[in-house]
Amino acid sequence: MSDQGAWLHVRAAGMDLLFSTLDLREVVASASVSPLPGRPSGIQGVVVYEGEFLPVLAWQDLPGCGVSASNPVAMAVLRPRLGIPLEQIIGTMELPPDAWRETDEKDPGAAWQGGVCQVGDLVLRLVDADRLIALLRRFRGDR
Amino acid sequence: MDQSLDDVWAECEDLFAQARKTLATLKDPQPAHVVQAAVNSLFRTTHTLKGMAGMLGFPSFSRAAHRMEDIFDLMRKGRLRSTDSLVETLEAGILALESGMAGLRRGRAEPEDYLHPLRRELGELEALARPAEGGSQDLTSMLDLPPEVLKALSDYERTRVTALLMSGMPIYGITVCLEFINFDERLRVLNEALGAQGELISTLPCDAPEDREGLSFLLMMACPALDPTQLPTVDGELITAALLADPSRVPESLRNAAPDESDETTPPAEPVAEPVPPIMAAPGPQAQEVEILRLPAHRVEALEARLMAVGQLRDATSLLMRQSGEAGNDRPLALMGQIEDGLLDVQKSLLQMRMVKVESLFSRIEPMVKSLSRDTGKPVKLTFQGSDLELERSLLGRLSDPFIHLVRNAVDHGLEPPSDRLAMGKSEAGSLRISASQRGRNIRFDIRDDGRGFNLERIEARGLELGLLKPGQVHTPERLHRLTLEPGFSTQERASQISGRGVGMDVVRAEIEALGGEIHMSSEAKRGSLIRLTIPLSRAVVSCLKVRCDRQAFGIPLGNVVRVQAGKQLCHGGEQVRVLGRSLPFESLQACLGLPEPDGQRAFVVLSQQGAAARSVEVALGVDEIMGRGEVLLRSLPELAHASGIMGGSLQEDGILWVLDPDAVLGLAMDSLMRRVARV
Repeated sequence: MSDQGAWLHVRAAGMDLLFSTLDLREVVASASVSPLPGRPSGIQGVVVYEGEFLPVLAWQDLPGCGVSASNPVAMAVLRPRLGIPLEQIIGTMELPPDAWRETDEKDPGAAWQGGVCQVGDLVLRLVDADRLIALLRRFRGDR
Repeated sequence: MDQSLDDVWAECEDLFAQARKTLATLKDPQPAHVVQAAVNSLFRTTHTLKGMAGMLGFPSFSRAAHRMEDIFDLMRKGRLRSTDSLVETLEAGILALESGMAGLRRGRAEPEDYLHPLRRELGELEALARPAEGGSQDLTSMLDLPPEVLKALSDYERTRVTALLMSGMPIYGITVCLEFINFDERLRVLNEALGAQGELISTLPCDAPEDREGLSFLLMMACPALDPTQLPTVDGELITAALLADPSRVPESLRNAAPDESDETTPPAEPVAEPVPPIMAAPGPQAQEVEILRLPAHRVEALEARLMAVGQLRDATSLLMRQSGEAGNDRPLALMGQIEDGLLDVQKSLLQMRMVKVESLFSRIEPMVKSLSRDTGKPVKLTFQGSDLELERSLLGRLSDPFIHLVRNAVDHGLEPPSDRLAMGKSEAGSLRISASQRGRNIRFDIRDDGRGFNLERIEARGLELGLLKPGQVHTPERLHRLTLEPGFSTQERASQISGRGVGMDVVRAEIEALGGEIHMSSEAKRGSLIRLTIPLSRAVVSCLKVRCDRQAFGIPLGNVVRVQAGKQLCHGGEQVRVLGRSLPFESLQACLGLPEPDGQRAFVVLSQQGAAARSVEVALGVDEIMGRGEVLLRSLPELAHASGIMGGSLQEDGILWVLDPDAVLGLAMDSLMRRVARV
């Protein structure tokens, strides 16, 4: 985990999550999402980003996630061009490599998480961009 | 990929396109000065590529570009003559570099030698052009120029002066004194004008006359007879012309030493002087070159973003005016319509800036097929269709590698040797037909050969051996064809020099799928194969019928709309409706897209497959409201957001208008109708 750069600590889908800053294109203000008729699972719709359509994640479709309690305030744009709605941006943090442990296989979120980190009472889940994209592709394939 | 390098990649692409175009001109007989200008341009291009590769940190590429640059240098110095086989080798070299550059852009590792497949040909050329012992002849001392100017001449200039004098061409010097304010533009104009009369050898800065201010240049050129009256002059400019060297003063012994001009095929082994073919007719004015602007994609995108912002402003104003509901708003609203039309025109122009003709892809294939034909001993009749079709430059760049691979396979594995073909009653030359055509929002490439077809039995056996197929099952031809796209799959026992290493087809598939496209393969034993690539165009201006369903706007491409009809009676999904005396199945658009179904609809659009025969599938597609027709700028949906029946979207004043994929919607409608029948 030492080669992941700094971590962005956010709240989304009612959880404390971490994104590697290396996976992020940028974080932008939340925009109104245009729903996509017959949308694929995992994608709620699109926003216009840099003149192109950017798919926006539907957290509620991911295993281990519920419907967000509050409206998103910002959107993280992943490098593989996926918008992630965020409820709160808490800040960036550095974490020692030994702070991590593997996600429990029984955790339904294991399909999109890259590990778990405990800081005090706080359980932080790492969003693994590659796993997340692979999961969304699997959703498409299962249709 | 680092976006800051976009400019560099874009420039490299331009340089390769330019090199290919210039090389193509060398295939036809040209006056000597045109050949020289072309070779000089190629020399500069490879020199620039070498520098750029060095800057990007690709030493192996830089070495390969340097080697090509050397060959062009030998040509421009007259040590190699432009022949068909030389041009073919150079085309193959440029293609190898271009393909290598595309690989680097995608993050592939550098090969040891990009020009490895051409090492024999290049080695021969270099050996033939090597100077003979004793050095080369230099006739520059014949030039009527001060010693300090003579001393400043480069090797290239010396070689050209010598070669041209030996071939009987006079050398002229044109001295110009130009104003500081516009000297560069004037110099360009004069160079062009002189280039139209003969070969411009050099542009040397020189001292301005004492009584004049400005910059002076000596333009040295060769032509049968200089006509200074043809030079574009400007009031107050000083231009003088003088004969610098008369070829009749070249010693007879040296003139006789020039190689025989009639030898068209063998490059001269001697270092001295390329014989310059006589100019058959006075060269006419050269076509005015079009100025090419290198524009990185992100700058066009920035312009589009600005345009979109203007569009949003227009939409907001339009909405405000409509909401105010004041009388007398008709005129401003009409003006808004005009602004909208204008914006769409600008968007079309921007779209056009991204487009290149498919011809530029085909132009890479042709020299490769020639080279493969020679290497494999298989004559190939190559034909192209749809060269004029245009598609986005970035798309074309990414298609290059898959295409090259597929064409290699077709020639290497598909086409039989000539003796086998003759024994089978086929023509000696194999046929390879490559076509491009637009199908709705897709562009389709067909690569057809009339060779042996895929050996499905061998593919099946190999599939079983690799565990990709289960024994005892029936495997359809389609499944077996697709098996060749699996990583590491190859039926070739031994990799050939050209293909058959079991790598590549999976890369082809990955690249096509990454573009959101599909690959379809079919073949018939002993009759040939067809590889079909279907690639979605990422942007286009599409004429649509605009409709509304469930408070959402949709566009239906007009090419698939047979009829629009609205009646008094409510229709429901699964019913039949009468259209011009025919009975058609009715299905609501909502049902097709999985949206909540309406309680009946009065309007419908008769949808059919584009370009299909009269008996093709037609469905009456129920919609809530017909809004009219219009042109929209369509943007594709990214891969993760692909939704059934939706081709893409267009930004409109009231949100996104989703443009339907008519063929997919027809399929969804038929599925929905079948489900209704099944439920009954």
